[in-house]
Amino acid sequence: MTASATEAAVSAIHIEDLWKRYGKVEAVRGISLDVRPGEIFGLIGPDGAGKTSTFQVLAGVMEATSGTASIFGKPARDARSETGYLTQVFSLYPDLTVLENIRYMGDLRRVPPDEITRRGQRYLRMFDMDRFEDRLAGRLSGGMKQKLALACALVPEPRVLLLDEPTTGVDPVSRREFWDTLAHLAAGGLTILLATPYLDEAERCHRVALIHQGLIQNTGTPAELRASLNSKRMELHTSNLSGAEEIINTLAGPDQEIVDVQRFGDRLDLIVRHPDAAEVILRDTLIPAGLTIDDIRIDEPTLENTFVATLRNLGQEVHSEPFPGRHGHAELKGQVAIGATNLRKEFGAFTAVKDVSLDIKYGEIYGLLGANGAGKTTTIKMLCGLLEPTFGKMQLAGKSGGLRSGSVRQRIGYMSQKFSLYNDMSIKENLEFFAGVYGVPEEEREEKMRWVLSFSGLEGKQDQLTGSLPQGWKQRVAFGAAIQHEPSILFLDEPTSGVDPLARRAFWTMINRLADAGTAILVTTHYLEEAEQCNRLGFMVAGELVTEGSPTAIKSAQGGHLLEFVVDQPQRAMEMLKTDEERWRVSLFGDRLHVITDDEAAAAIRATTSRIELAGMKVITAREGRFSLEDVFISVVEKARQQGKFVSED
Amino acid sequence: MKLIQFLFGYRIRALLKKEFAQIRRDRRLAMSLILPPVLQLLLFSFVLNATVSNLKLGIIDESRTPESRNLTSTLTESKSFRMAGYYYSVDKMGDAISKGELDAGVVIPHDYTGELERGRPVTVQFLLNAMNANTAAIAQGYAEGVILTYNRTLGAQGIHARFSQIAAPALSRKGLALMTSTYLYNPGLVGTWFVVTGIFGLLIILNGSIVAATSMVKEREQGTIEQLLMCPAGTYEIIVAKIAPLFFLLFMMVLFATAIIKFVFDVPFEGNILILFAGAALCILSGIGIGTVLATFTHSAFQAQLTSFFVNPLLTTASGAVTPAEAVPGWLQPLVRINPIRHFSVIARSSMIKGSGLETLWPNFLVLSIFTVVMVSLSVWRFRKQLS
Amino acid sequence: MRRIFAQVRKELTQIVRDRLALSLALILPIMQLMLMGNAISLSVEDLPVAVQDLDDSPSSHLFIDAFRQSITFHVIPFSTKISPDEAFIRNEARAVLIIPNHFGRDIARGTNSPVQMMIDGSDSNTARLIAGFSAQVANSWNTTNGAAARVQPVKAAIRFWYNPGRSSKKFYGPGIFVLALSLFPPLLATLATAKEGEQKTILQVYVSSISAHEFILGKIFTFMIVAFCECLLLLTILFTYFGLSFAGDPTPFIVATILYAFCTSSFGTMIGAAIPNQAAAMQAVALGGFLLVFMLSGLIFPIQNIPESIRWLSNFIWGRYYIDIVRDALLQGGGWPAVWWKVGIIAIIGSIFYTLAWRNMRRMQLKS
Repeated sequence: MTASATEAAVSAIHIEDLWKRYGKVEAVRGISLDVRPGEIFGLIGPDGAGKTSTFQVLAGVMEATSGTASIFGKPARDARSETGYLTQVFSLYPDLTVLENIRYMGDLRRVPPDEITRRGQRYLRMFDMDRFEDRLAGRLSGGMKQKLALACALVPEPRVLLLDEPTTGVDPVSRREFWDTLAHLAAGGLTILLATPYLDEAERCHRVALIHQGLIQNTGTPAELRASLNSKRMELHTSNLSGAEEIINTLAGPDQEIVDVQRFGDRLDLIVRHPDAAEVILRDTLIPAGLTIDDIRIDEPTLENTFVATLRNLGQEVHSEPFPGRHGHAELKGQVAIGATNLRKEFGAFTAVKDVSLDIKYGEIYGLLGANGAGKTTTIKMLCGLLEPTFGKMQLAGKSGGLRSGSVRQRIGYMSQKFSLYNDMSIKENLEFFAGVYGVPEEEREEKMRWVLSFSGLEGKQDQLTGSLPQGWKQRVAFGAAIQHEPSILFLDEPTSGVDPLARRAFWTMINRLADAGTAILVTTHYLEEAEQCNRLGFMVAGELVTEGSPTAIKSAQGGHLLEFVVDQPQRAMEMLKTDEERWRVSLFGDRLHVITDDEAAAAIRATTSRIELAGMKVITAREGRFSLEDVFISVVEKARQQGKFVSED
Repeated sequence: MKLIQFLFGYRIRALLKKEFAQIRRDRRLAMSLILPPVLQLLLFSFVLNATVSNLKLGIIDESRTPESRNLTSTLTESKSFRMAGYYYSVDKMGDAISKGELDAGVVIPHDYTGELERGRPVTVQFLLNAMNANTAAIAQGYAEGVILTYNRTLGAQGIHARFSQIAAPALSRKGLALMTSTYLYNPGLVGTWFVVTGIFGLLIILNGSIVAATSMVKEREQGTIEQLLMCPAGTYEIIVAKIAPLFFLLFMMVLFATAIIKFVFDVPFEGNILILFAGAALCILSGIGIGTVLATFTHSAFQAQLTSFFVNPLLTTASGAVTPAEAVPGWLQPLVRINPIRHFSVIARSSMIKGSGLETLWPNFLVLSIFTVVMVSLSVWRFRKQLS
Repeated sequence: MRRIFAQVRKELTQIVRDRLALSLALILPIMQLMLMGNAISLSVEDLPVAVQDLDDSPSSHLFIDAFRQSITFHVIPFSTKISPDEAFIRNEARAVLIIPNHFGRDIARGTNSPVQMMIDGSDSNTARLIAGFSAQVANSWNTTNGAAARVQPVKAAIRFWYNPGRSSKKFYGPGIFVLALSLFPPLLATLATAKEGEQKTILQVYVSSISAHEFILGKIFTFMIVAFCECLLLLTILFTYFGLSFAGDPTPFIVATILYAFCTSSFGTMIGAAIPNQAAAMQAVALGGFLLVFMLSGLIFPIQNIPESIRWLSNFIWGRYYIDIVRDALLQGGGWPAVWWKVGIIAIIGSIFYTLAWRNMRRMQLKS
């Protein structure tokens, strides 16, 4: 693991055997890595993996317990003038305006005043924020706050950017814009080290390292990591998902042909060693059991698959006891659990939600997606009875009036965004409280609690203070607490933020079980890959529900094609294409260029290739790719915006 | 039946258990409810002492006769004045007063004895530093009192005998109204009795309101409020469960404070102690009520505290807790009338020192009860509204 | 220097933006001054005195009139059939004046008549005032009411210096001025410093490699400016509404005010740097800035009355020295000779606070 002196010299960031201890806790346990100049390097890992500690050492704001961390050959603390650092929470002064924030950061770093103005203007223009110069930072949306923080960090013209989970809580549209900006900056020679819990973002890095429990598990380009799995991903569409999943689960195992199976909203994803052999096995087992195989597609595994495999190799599998459900709601299946017709909410002159109508049935998982400010939170609050709609009819648990009554709330499980538990109580006390207040029968409490602890992987730790748990664990306990009383309707507002991929799978397995038992579930998430596990999705733009349907239906309803190019000068190609096409249609994923077109695929590939080559660049490969839900989401939002639906930027 | 269901329902039990668990963990809260109040009670009551005694007296004796020395010794023999030095010019003494070396000065004229012998009245000049109006007023009383006594003692002496003959023939004399003052309940005029009983209510209200505000706003600050509002418990259940442990802790504080008042400050307990405790209980609830209302207007503990900076000075100054309530200007008197601190201090003082009973204190109890009910209802109403 | 200036500009902008902080900085001190300056007073007017007139003669009526005319007392008639202490138990009166039978006859005959003043002793200070004032009323009644010929051999002529009207406002006004300057600037300084820690913006400051001195001075200068604004506002009120003016050389006051602003701002910054939690830091400042200065500086009750066992503490209370300086400047006019060493002590305490704040921040790094 010792890097040679020459390698250290060419490295923008050089970390060698870095340790960080807080008392007994070892946050970082001997990390070594090198980041080359101009590279976007992703540090991927769940909460509590040691990412933030590493960043704080690199930013020079904290001392390491041992080891070296240097930036362009200088110790990190002395190289502070070379680094820009974005922290997880927006490190802005919310009561200063955009320009004042930039000015202050520039002044602190002794940038000449006229340079501050000049560069500030340049970055704001680059981020499409020059209209908001005089807006208070606190009044910006999450995405814009992050872009402003980035502008502040860029004004002193650092050579290295350290971004610690810059996109947490930022919606997909803003996230994509943010990444386009990063790609642009990296092409200009800036070195970027970035931490993220989102594996789809890792695809846009040049290289990534998987970090888990303070150790780096795997380093390489996204393609290398995917290839290291030596497997293919198989999408299986079948009539009875839960039946098929059950059968395949008995076949799957690390040494088997089928390595892994995961259920999505309308399909199963299998990790297989040899697609052909696997297909034979599937036909031999599923068809005799009376199940159909409607469609099979083979694709590359995702980074998430890689990560899950890596964690499994480390023995991190979540083994949870089956949920001791006593009160199924199967008899309710098919009835409407949550119904809304023409729901409307006005705050003064501002209409947050416009004529939203939806029906969610018992046994259904419904995903509500939308950018920040699209009215998602307001809609949920109305649907669960916390907020009175200005106009429109509501139906909840079979009742259309008195939605605030105790008996209705008794049937609802609710897990709010991020804060559902009392940090100052032990895990046990939290669970006892929710069991008590929802009147879970005494005789069931013991086994329910045991189940939550096993689901959270916290057996024997029930007396620990909840506040001392990392976010991901807290989310699991909160989820457990919310379903102890076996509600027939479940609201989950971003339940999996900060949860590592393995635990997220356990979450979704459980959500599927509950739905099978007849529970109606409404989920919101910013993580679109996850949204594919819903039965139905609704996209909200500017307070309106613009698209609704199953993930596959939504994707196939999306006209147009996704083209993937590998070009010798990807950055220049992107800049050029962006001037011709609408900006959102072009984006850079690491070294690959994605172009979304409404034309016929082959013709569009030809046309784009010739445009790139005319400009003197070389196209290495060009092919049609597959839409991700995120691509669909972004084009839905953009098209709605073109139709004059203004997405609130507040 | 419904009440019993409400009191012993599973939901309120779960809520109570949760609140007690949280309070138990919150060391800072428990500490801030027991330690500072006790310290404040001790410190305030020892420190806030308006007693004027041992005033530093400077003397210019231009007469320098046995009679003038007799006067100066009468002045300094009392506990009121203490000899702080002889001076030879009024300017020098003035300097000493302005530097704070002296509180008062006395100038005995050079013809003091001569004039008295001639049977003419003589004027002794007192110079008082009136920067502190209270001290000056009391010093004035002392000075006049000493001179009055001195005049009476003169009666036995030769000078006075002569003086009476020359200046005031007995025939034209009318009788004097001789004023004697007696002090009831506190014959030793122990200053701390007043202060300590006033501080008592002040502590309950100020600590109660801030603790209640912090604890109420915590749900909001940490974002758990939505989760709480989504559970089947009613608003009253939530509020009652929030108030109960605070009430319990604050009542512990009251017991502590009562013990200190009794054993450290020796305040007599003339009346029924239950009346004191009943008053304290209502006062605690008023304090919690103020806090819960403050909390529904703010988003974080520090904002609640900041807001209390606006409310507390008003409540304190218009309370009559450490200064006489009559000294509060007229435009603030309406506030005095509804101020729970004021009513509790009346209850505490009257029942402890004077032994008053419920038959005379019921108006104070009534105001405290109404205040509590209004505040708690207001906070329940605001609590319901706070999400939209 | 430029970074300090940037820091000051940023802090001032933040204060101006934050309505709660701004009203805390400017409105609350005024409110406090007007409220407490008016309401805190030990000298009272209109004290309810119940009168039991057992004589009910023209003379006794005249005697009662003398009390009625005094602004200190508010006479309420009280039945002679009830025991006088009933008035106290019912909290109807502060004192009961009892005029004996045959009062009028005795006076006319030249016999002295004993008049009794029963005073509720539970408020000892007021009780003393009542005793003093009632003796004065009786005395002046004696001299005017026919006993004029009966001249007292020795008369006390009492002159009040510095505050001849014996107005409480003039004494407490400067005290509350000091209290406001001891509480609000450090409170804001503490909030501003603790906020950086709480909201993690301090990380950006650490990354920027600004030195601890620059950072702390930036905060301190800001809140010194706030303190000067408050000082000007409050002085205006003191000079107009309270009718005060400089009694002598104002330079010690000006120098002391600058140093005191530095001292309290440093105190606030020190606390804020040590406790990165706004609520807790605020409590600490409220305790240090308010309670200690309020209690141990002679603001309302004289320092001499503090028991010796804790009186020594007041020597460390910065506000105590400033109060002396302000009272001297506005009431006595002793000037430099009277207060020079107090100015020095404020400077020393201020630099101690500054050093402590700097020691806490000096590494400009997260503490593990």
